[in-house]
Amino acid sequence: MNNFLQRLSGITSFAMSTLMALVVLISLTTPFLPSNPTHAVQLHNVQTTTGRMMDPYDKTSRTAEYARLTFDVDADLSSMFNWNTKLLFTYITVDYQSSSGFNRVVIWDRIVRGKRQAKLKLRKHHNKYLLRNFAQTFESVEGANLTLIVNPVPYLGVMYDKTMSSVPFSIPRALKAGDKK
Amino acid sequence: MEFMAQANKKFGVRSLLVQGLTFLSVLTSAFMIWKGLSLFTNSESPVVVVLSGSMEPVYYRGDILFLHNGYSPIEIGEVVVYKVKEKAIPIVHRVLKVHNDNTSGKQFLLTKGDHNDETDDRGIYNPGQKWISRDDIIGRVKGFVPYAGMGTIWMNDYPQLKMILLGTLCVLSLFSNE
Repeated sequence: MNNFLQRLSGITSFAMSTLMALVVLISLTTPFLPSNPTHAVQLHNVQTTTGRMMDPYDKTSRTAEYARLTFDVDADLSSMFNWNTKLLFTYITVDYQSSSGFNRVVIWDRIVRGKRQAKLKLRKHHNKYLLRNFAQTFESVEGANLTLIVNPVPYLGVMYDKTMSSVPFSIPRALKAGDKK
Repeated sequence: MEFMAQANKKFGVRSLLVQGLTFLSVLTSAFMIWKGLSLFTNSESPVVVVLSGSMEPVYYRGDILFLHNGYSPIEIGEVVVYKVKEKAIPIVHRVLKVHNDNTSGKQFLLTKGDHNDETDDRGIYNPGQKWISRDDIIGRVKGFVPYAGMGTIWMNDYPQLKMILLGTLCVLSLFSNE
């Protein structure tokens, strides 16, 4: 004779096993759902200045070189929304080689919450986050790239990144007073 | 020997001991699995519960995160769990900046919570600390299950719940036959 507790324990353990099987199945299959995003990034202008930026936590920011980018983004990410997509974390990175090694920083990000917001049309945007080298200047910095990346965050499951467009560029040095361009 | 046989008949000492041993073996198996997972992922805590709302709307309080640390360098955009040196609270944020130094093999990382608009984590690092390093990272988030950790949050916010739960477990185990 099965009493109440035995039935409850049986139901609970079956529910737990089913849920765990579902979690595994969903996690394994979501990254393979098809999507067809269109993407394009264009860089208009890079300007490097020095002696103006102030980061309250960084005493060296007063004399460091800071680069300001102006860029356009055209992307239709709505096909990346499937039944298991909670939001798209889109961000733009600048990566470059410096004298000490490889560097990569996020200069802009946006959370895309639904299909309606998924059509990105940015015109002459600037970097949200200040772009400076680890060293004080951009001396011997080469091979910079501007890359758009999307991180689709599921409701449940595995996290991964999808790289979209990438454009190479170079970061100029700040003009000193008296320099001719 | 005679004394022990009599004690077993009177108090069921052997069955109590067997029960205790089974209980202990379950506990130690769970511990072994946890430590084994820790070794495999190179992470001191491969499963964590999100405690703060600083990653909303990506992660909410009560989400369970599965971490894998490994030994490879941290890459940009990864959501990592880290601890500021000498502070005990693990923090789940996204990596905003990565600077590699080939001579020392070190990484200089800056993190930021997705909910903290344009404010990076320098305010929560130690005073004067501008970067965190690779060994401050407990793990990178590889997968997650939403809401599954709400029990831990409730038990932290309402310690009486912990007492009630422990009490019920004890009472149930006393009255069960297995």
